Amino acid sequence: MADMHAALGKLYTLEQLSAGTTVIHRVHPLAKLAATGVYLVCIVSFDRYAVGRLMPYLFYPAVVLALAEVPYGLIVRRSLTALPFCLFAGLSNLFLDRTALFHLGGVAVSAGAVSLAAIVVRTLLCVAAVLILVAVTPFVQMTDQLRRLHVPGIFVSLFEMTYRYLGALVEEASAMVTAYRLRCPGAKGPDIRHMGPFVGQLLLRSFDRAERVYQAMKCRGYALRDTMRTKHPLTAGDWIFLLAVGGSSVLFRLLNIPLLLGGKL
Amino acid sequence: MHMADALLSPAVGLTMWAVSAGSVAVSASRIERQELSEKKLPVMAVTGAFVFAAQMINFTIPATGSSGHIGGGILLAGLLGGFPALLTLTAVLIIQCLFFADGGLLALGCNIFNMGIIPCLIVYPLLFRPLLRKGITARRLTLASILSVVIGLQLGAFGVVLETTVSGVSELPFATFLMLMQPIHLAIGLVEGVVTAAILAFVLKTRPELLESAAERKALSAGVSVKKTVAVLAILAVLVGGGLSLFASANPDGLEWAVEKVTGSPELEQNDSVHAAAAQAQEKTALLPDYDFAGGGAGGTSVSGLVGGALTFALAGGAGLAISAVKKRKKHTAAR
Repeated sequence: MADMHAALGKLYTLEQLSAGTTVIHRVHPLAKLAATGVYLVCIVSFDRYAVGRLMPYLFYPAVVLALAEVPYGLIVRRSLTALPFCLFAGLSNLFLDRTALFHLGGVAVSAGAVSLAAIVVRTLLCVAAVLILVAVTPFVQMTDQLRRLHVPGIFVSLFEMTYRYLGALVEEASAMVTAYRLRCPGAKGPDIRHMGPFVGQLLLRSFDRAERVYQAMKCRGYALRDTMRTKHPLTAGDWIFLLAVGGSSVLFRLLNIPLLLGGKL
Repeated sequence: MHMADALLSPAVGLTMWAVSAGSVAVSASRIERQELSEKKLPVMAVTGAFVFAAQMINFTIPATGSSGHIGGGILLAGLLGGFPALLTLTAVLIIQCLFFADGGLLALGCNIFNMGIIPCLIVYPLLFRPLLRKGITARRLTLASILSVVIGLQLGAFGVVLETTVSGVSELPFATFLMLMQPIHLAIGLVEGVVTAAILAFVLKTRPELLESAAERKALSAGVSVKKTVAVLAILAVLVGGGLSLFASANPDGLEWAVEKVTGSPELEQNDSVHAAAAQAQEKTALLPDYDFAGGGAGGTSVSGLVGGALTFALAGGAGLAISAVKKRKKHTAAR
């Protein structure tokens, strides 16, 4: 099934990118996580018409993507997938908020249009920030950091294992859908009447697999409580990254940079 | 039903984060205390991956030409029990958020609440399990699945509407948004409920021992505290309700308020509760609410703002391109 493999491709592309060795990849995961958090909170704290004031926040994705050698197109394309629901909510602004906010070359621009634009920009920036975080932080470092932040061990282990088994289960589901299609030519997917046994089969196979996984883990001496938390203090470089990204986010929130820049012209 | 960051205010996002993180921590500690938690872990992980894969199987809905997919909250709870199901769904939601841009990072708390806590910790113990208390039959299982999925989705959709409206980014009025969301999710819930019922009925027929509710029924009769679970849920509900009403009545944008207070904007110097309430009412009715006309004439301000915005955009893009170019050249020379 093409879209299933496409989804797996998405997962693995990000994982491959995160294995880079650029200066951004080397930053401490906590610094990246905290910086992303500050960045997101600052962006969503703007009022709904602040489309211009969001522009300085483009610096972060533009600069970090370039430094981390992550292709722009990839992040932009992925960010676009998050748009539909936001557009649904934003389009209503276009119709419900029709007050003219200002005139641009004789055309009145309504408040709704501005807030719609702001929603679109916010969406793209927020999604890009999260994708960048994942593209420059290896999965192992991320979960290691979660443990250091005292997220319950059982949950972090569950998160790691779920991630690892996605590939296997998606492959299995995909093979089943292919088999179904070969037996029902022309069918896009299973008929709703067949979903019980169809997904049920997949489920039984999953349980059997879990049993084998558990036995294999036990053979290798696995015990839940043994997972070690490695120590990894922040270096000066990590602090600089955190202060640069977090500080600039707060600064852009406090100062109206576009207005200052535009006013100088 | 995945919510995005762009439609949320920080107050709503962070409050829901706290609620969801608390529930996940409670669930984790409850599972860790069980003897077999280690054995349960691979089952939870693989079923999590299963839900992820099963969500990708689009089935066709007869006579409509459309297709749907399962959600998984009640299905997981029926198989694993409420607390493990919540942890498993949370792991799936985090993966969807991080790797597939499905739901935002700040909105993760809302999404865990709407799609995880509601079905696993509210609908499952209060509706699904009581319906099966007298013993699991195919008929009861079907009824319990359909009802639970429908009610879980209705509550989840209501959560989305409430969280979006309280955030105040979208202009959609509460009632209109509700009228749009609830019927759509009623239809989705019915279809998903039928499919969930069919899957659980299949498991009941082939491997009945896998149904957690079957095991739990025995435990229940042995006197494991249903009361305690209900009490925990009631406290949770009060906390959540209290949290929601708190920021529903306070300033809708806590961070903005704090930031403006730091900058000493005159608008907020007179910010006592009466003024805040009045300002909020004014914001709702004003024609040009909240827009920054600091520079005097509205036209002039917006034009310089617009030019500045475009300039910033160009600068940011230029900076990125310049870095890329320098890096490429470096690599090129290194290769030679």
